[in-house]
Amino acid sequence: MSPIGLCGADTLVRDMPQAKTLRAMANAILASLVRSFKVFVAVLHEIFDESAYQRFLDRAHLQSSPNAYAIFLRETEQAKSRRPRCC
Amino acid sequence: MPKVLRVLLWIAVSLLGAFALATIALHRGEQINALWLVVAAVSTYAVGYRFYSSFISAKVLALDPLRATPAERLDNGRDFVPTNKWVVFGHHFAAIAGPGPLVGPVLAAQFGYLPGTLWIIAGAVLGGCVQDFVILLFSVRRDGKSLTEMAKSEIGRVGGVVAYVAVLSIIVILLGATALIVVNALKSSPWGTFTIAMTMPIAVLMGVYLRRIRPGKVLETSVLGFVLVLAAIVVGQWVSETPSWAAIFTLTAPTLAILIIIYGFAASALPVWLLLAPRDYLSTFVKLGTISLLAVGIVALRPSLHMPPLTRFADGSGPVFAGTIFPFAFITIACGAVSGFHSLISSGTTPKLIRREPEARFVGYGGMIAESMVAIMAMIAASVLQPGVYFAVNSPAGIVGQAPEAAAATISSWGFQVTAAQMATLAHAVGEQTLFNRTGGAPAFAVGMAQIFSNTLGGQAVMALWYHFAIMFEALFILTILDAGTRVGRFMLQDALGHIWKPLGRTSWYPSILFTSAVVVAAWGNFLWQGIKDPLGGINSLWPLFGICNQLLATVALCVATVIIVKMGRVRYVAVTLIPLCWLVAVTFTASWHKILNPNPRVGFLAHARQLAAAGANPRLIFNDRLDAAVTAVLVVMVAMILIESSLECMRVVSGSKSAETKEAPFVMTKLAAQEQS
Repeated sequence: MSPIGLCGADTLVRDMPQAKTLRAMANAILASLVRSFKVFVAVLHEIFDESAYQRFLDRAHLQSSPNAYAIFLRETEQAKSRRPRCC
Repeated sequence: MPKVLRVLLWIAVSLLGAFALATIALHRGEQINALWLVVAAVSTYAVGYRFYSSFISAKVLALDPLRATPAERLDNGRDFVPTNKWVVFGHHFAAIAGPGPLVGPVLAAQFGYLPGTLWIIAGAVLGGCVQDFVILLFSVRRDGKSLTEMAKSEIGRVGGVVAYVAVLSIIVILLGATALIVVNALKSSPWGTFTIAMTMPIAVLMGVYLRRIRPGKVLETSVLGFVLVLAAIVVGQWVSETPSWAAIFTLTAPTLAILIIIYGFAASALPVWLLLAPRDYLSTFVKLGTISLLAVGIVALRPSLHMPPLTRFADGSGPVFAGTIFPFAFITIACGAVSGFHSLISSGTTPKLIRREPEARFVGYGGMIAESMVAIMAMIAASVLQPGVYFAVNSPAGIVGQAPEAAAATISSWGFQVTAAQMATLAHAVGEQTLFNRTGGAPAFAVGMAQIFSNTLGGQAVMALWYHFAIMFEALFILTILDAGTRVGRFMLQDALGHIWKPLGRTSWYPSILFTSAVVVAAWGNFLWQGIKDPLGGINSLWPLFGICNQLLATVALCVATVIIVKMGRVRYVAVTLIPLCWLVAVTFTASWHKILNPNPRVGFLAHARQLAAAGANPRLIFNDRLDAAVTAVLVVMVAMILIESSLECMRVVSGSKSAETKEAPFVMTKLAAQEQS
């Protein structure tokens, strides 16, 4: 009997866990990619002070507006000006 | 992963690194591929991070995951914020990466690619990364105290004063040297000058947009600014090709210097939100993007290095800057291997964001590895150039001659073939009138980067665009440092003057702002002016001076770290900071001695002053040399004082005549560990 003749149910039974494993792997890779992207975006938000502004809004219970941003800038101006940039 | 596999993996990484290092060190006579440098660096960094930083964490610093950091204890949502380690890493890297690791290796390439590459790799793993890591951790354990505060509390009053003077000096000299790089890159370049001029209204536009139209949307504004800058680069080509416009933007070095000095003063006195902050965001955006792009370009193109591993200029007769390979290769590379300036960042914003103590290793040691990798890329960008081209761009007219034919003949006589026609073709390809005598490192780096980029993307047709993109990237970087540095210098001066007369210390009092801004701008403006008037090209004097200051600051940081390690009762591990400290002392003191007293007028400031005096030169030039010698001497004496003070403090602790008490904040158990478990 040729091996092809045996395929049928036997192959299906063997392939199902394999497919599951592949799907699980793909999901894991996708999840880690999404996680990495989220971290990357979080890094950008922190570097570009968007997170700091959000924290300020939360702390001061304010909505984002030109006035709120002006207060935020005033609050952070000293720290920003004193922060050295490296060579 | 099973332990056996892990061991095998690390053995493989170590062997690969050793093989790559042997290849770059022993290969002679043939060009090697740039990827060998990348493999050698990455493997060494991986082994250094995995084993050496782990040893320091466990044995020397005893990082404690249960100890609450100031970010947790003092969390105020403003300065102190417990932050994800990747976010802190990005923030820290963005702060430490400046033009130094790009310019230093390009200048040091005059010795060949080998000495610089070896120093970048070894210096980072054993010195720079260690310094950044330990200072970060010590600052974390002292509620985020600055280097000067730690020097004062752990070593003594002298330590604090020396650290303060070193920081102020390095800022002033750094600003003068980097401003000179911009002047040299933009002189007689209407395209480059137009592009950089346009970044100022773009930054102001960004500031207004950010404040009035889309408050807080910094990323969006930065993307908008970046698109406008790209448009300015494209329009710049048209400007350079239109005679009436080109005439307006074709400026001489003195005119550019005056404009930059005026700009520095205005930027220091203007509100932060209008120019400084948006320019900073734009520069960071371009910086991170360009560095990533360069890394991709090098890996994709895998260029060959045309520079030999060692050149004849190891003997000190180099045209780019004078001085023997020891100590000047180590002074010149500065930020790519060990940078004292990093200790200011490691004891500034970063320690206030670290969530758990063990994360200091990743941020401090890992951040410097990333910085060092940038230096390796700069070394590659310089070494992919034909050596003749490299020396033609980087040699001052005072050494090789003013006329293109004369310069080409001089450089060819050194064994690095180049012709005036070849340089004219290259200048035409990058949209410049000439590339001769473009000292400072930035234009050479831009040509190398343009070659890598254009071979990866767009071909020769867009080489001019890539060149001006690279020039814009470097100049933007440097002007941001001018803005920020002048302000930081101004605040430091106001702090000091406030002790003499209180109103001068008030940071919001306009007469004080104007006066102190003028003093700081005059200080670095003097160095800039000196640089453009120097017949040897300026960089010959200023970059080594900056390198000496930077490494002296690293000496101060390592003194502080060594004293703290001794006080922690870990004398047996003191070599971790003591060996890099001894090396830096040897390098900086030797370099200072050469710069002050070497009888060769191209090396020694005083010998050069004597030569100028004998030739009846302008007294101003003679004064400049004497001033440089005096600045170097004062810094060396001050660092010698801190060394003596540190040694005495260590001896007192080791002999038992003083109790080993550090000024750490008291232990508080972290709540984050429990939160993470639940």
